[in-house]
Amino acid sequence: MSARRRVAITGVGMVTPVGNDAPSTWASLLAGRSGLGEITGFDATGFTTRIGAEVKNFADDAGASNRKLAKFALRTHRFALAAAEEALADAGIHPSPSSGHRWGLSVGAGMMGVEFEDLRLLHTHCAQDGEFRPDGLLGEGYPADPVAFCRSQPNAGLALLTRRFGIRGYATAVHTACASGGQAVGTALKVMRRGVTDFMLAGGYDSMLNPIGLSGFCLLGALSTDNETPTRASRPFDASRNGFVLGEGAGFLVLEDWESARRRGARIYAELAGDGNSLSSFRITDSPPDGDGPIQAIQQALGDAGLTAELVDYVNAHGTSTLMNDRSECAALRSVLGKEVDRVAVSSTKSCMGHLISAAGAVEAAVCALAIRDGIAPVNANLETLDPDCAINVVRTKSRPMRIRAAISNSLGFGGSNSCLAFRHPDEVPTADAVVHERTT
Amino acid sequence: MNVSPRLVITGSGAVCGAGLGVAAIWDAIVNGRTAVSAIRQWDATRWPVSIAAEVNGVDNRTLVEDRKLHKLISRTDMFGLYAAGAAVQQSGLTVHRDTLESGAVAKFNDRTGVFAGSGGGAYRSHHDFFPLLTASGGDLQSFGRELGATVNPMWLLKNLPNNVLCHIGIRHSFKGTNACITNQCMGGVMAIAEAAASIRAEEADRAVAVGHDAPVEPETLLNYYNLGLLSGTAVRSFDRQRDGTVFGEGAAAIVLETEAAAAARRAPVLGEFLGSGCVSEATGIVDVCPDGDGVARAMGLALADAKISPDAVGMIVAHGNGTRASDASEAAAIRRVFGASPPPVTAFKWAYGHSIAASGALDLVMALHALREKIVPGIATLNSVDPGVAPLPVSSSPQAPRSDTALISCRGFGGMNAVLIVRAAAGSSSA
Repeated sequence: MSARRRVAITGVGMVTPVGNDAPSTWASLLAGRSGLGEITGFDATGFTTRIGAEVKNFADDAGASNRKLAKFALRTHRFALAAAEEALADAGIHPSPSSGHRWGLSVGAGMMGVEFEDLRLLHTHCAQDGEFRPDGLLGEGYPADPVAFCRSQPNAGLALLTRRFGIRGYATAVHTACASGGQAVGTALKVMRRGVTDFMLAGGYDSMLNPIGLSGFCLLGALSTDNETPTRASRPFDASRNGFVLGEGAGFLVLEDWESARRRGARIYAELAGDGNSLSSFRITDSPPDGDGPIQAIQQALGDAGLTAELVDYVNAHGTSTLMNDRSECAALRSVLGKEVDRVAVSSTKSCMGHLISAAGAVEAAVCALAIRDGIAPVNANLETLDPDCAINVVRTKSRPMRIRAAISNSLGFGGSNSCLAFRHPDEVPTADAVVHERTT
Repeated sequence: MNVSPRLVITGSGAVCGAGLGVAAIWDAIVNGRTAVSAIRQWDATRWPVSIAAEVNGVDNRTLVEDRKLHKLISRTDMFGLYAAGAAVQQSGLTVHRDTLESGAVAKFNDRTGVFAGSGGGAYRSHHDFFPLLTASGGDLQSFGRELGATVNPMWLLKNLPNNVLCHIGIRHSFKGTNACITNQCMGGVMAIAEAAASIRAEEADRAVAVGHDAPVEPETLLNYYNLGLLSGTAVRSFDRQRDGTVFGEGAAAIVLETEAAAAARRAPVLGEFLGSGCVSEATGIVDVCPDGDGVARAMGLALADAKISPDAVGMIVAHGNGTRASDASEAAAIRRVFGASPPPVTAFKWAYGHSIAASGALDLVMALHALREKIVPGIATLNSVDPGVAPLPVSSSPQAPRSDTALISCRGFGGMNAVLIVRAAAGSSSA
């Protein structure tokens, strides 16, 4: 068997509701500090859910050191630019004119971004009585703005990131709802293994904390309505949980070839060791109660990383705090981890920072890298009474110092896309021979 | 080291303005019939651009049989599900699966990947909020209060960019590795490239790949026009008088599997997937490198991936979107890679417009058909080749392919470029 290329995580960057960079986010998560509160970005007082997990005090020009690019950037893109810049600085390596073609980009990007003000403008000019009349767009008064249009393109974020950092190799944007960030990081791993690139900037970004985004989830009844107690609203695996809390932000990783990272003396957080990716093909919104779908994704990720359940010490769960997701995910974990399930520490960091949708999987991948580096599993806040249907070893009350040999991170999306990423401690990385051995025994 | 298995295409499906089904689209192309005509989705007679290649006269039941689903999906999803369904049907994949014993069925489903390239969203989906904006008089508090009574509770689901991916999975019970690519024009080609990569990496045994889009809508049309990207008359790829592109819509899909698997179940083989390449020019949202840097590098990577030299390519289906800058830079790239005597070059957008995320997948499916017919169709709108661009063997008349292999080039916003290479099945001819 040929030796497969190993991929090192050498940089992380985050913009989240609990911190505008990776160190402050990580400190908040370890302390169990909540980023949830009343929505302040717009008047949400009429909505059934008035709480969210907003990024706070984020400078409008953060990350967009190139001013020309900033005007093409939506809020979500500015998060992406800032988190990506932090990840590259953290890794201490950048694409250069001579290396840019060996750098790739893989992002989990949110749904189409028409800003509410732009929609309001359209309404004023074309649909005052509620019915759309396209000719209103041609009227004198309608300020058609090509820049606003460019910002709304599905790959606008990708375009800004490649331009900003001079990434000239493979570039992709994926969207599988809540699994997007995980799938983007998994795609980056596969692209590197294929030898198409030597470095990848991989991550996700999203901001649906606007009237339309909030509307979509309120209509589905997916959000917690605990408007009076926002910091308690997200309580994955708790018997009284009643929905997720919508968040926003971005997370990025710098990935590079293991051997070349070693050679340049880079600090390696962890090995990005495996990817699992499946479809539940059950129902469009419902999670399969028996965990079918997530089970295959977790099994694939472990197999791909040459891991067995005995070697996994930490699971960063998708753990959205909806009734269905948490039960389905626990069923999957019990099925795959078997008798190890009582030993393996599990937490959902969504308990503190809410659900970052297309960014979630990427941010949580960065969390796994930091958990491995520091040897500590972040707390699953707000768990008082464990749902008997979620019989797993949740990291409750406070973060748990422990050596983490390997970790996995789940991201399970609307529509049934499931992603699982597997990470190894840099000192636990076996030789290629050992990987073969583990697989054949 | 393991030798990569040969990947074959055992099914294809397509719908676009030029027709429903690959045969109907081919008939339009070889007969020089364009689908570009007056827009019908709204009255565009007063518009600076009033043409597109729309899918007309096709009943939704023909596209998606399950009427219950029609309320849960959008126009682009209809196209995508039709094309994918047609490709799966032609491949005989599900018929074969249903002959397997139950344990093997579960494994078959777990090892079947699904890859979609999606337009990622539409302005029209946001129009559902107009009645609410009117009712609330612009007041956000009452907007929130009236929301539940005014907007369809399934609004978000109806507009998920990954609907086609999910519903292919649900309809056929496919549960394997998957992706929904929302990289604007790259969607369809990258879905195909990733599907192939997943089989080569043994993450899947077979995969369905589809690209779909429905960009013909007022806001998008006006903005493309304001950016100077649209023609008011026709797509004239590489022509001296070319003045922009014209929107199309639709979808195309293929089924990919290993040659051994296809042979074992005696599946019909349409062609072979040889390789892909994908790069960014890092030029921002709309700009392209004038020297065709990205196109040339994507072509080089695809040729290397296919392990063939440029002279093995028998025809090139260019992106040829008809804008001044894109065609000129693409021609320069073709000459850089293929030297003084490239194989016959054509482009199909004159016939079915530019369908954004679907465009590259449509071009691939039609290129494969062209190889099987051994015809490089002419560009019917080409009157006089632009002397200002690098000389290419393009023609308004049919040419003969130089070999059984085609290279398909696709370009998009974000300075993106992707190239696919396919070969017709040995001895194949649908004649």
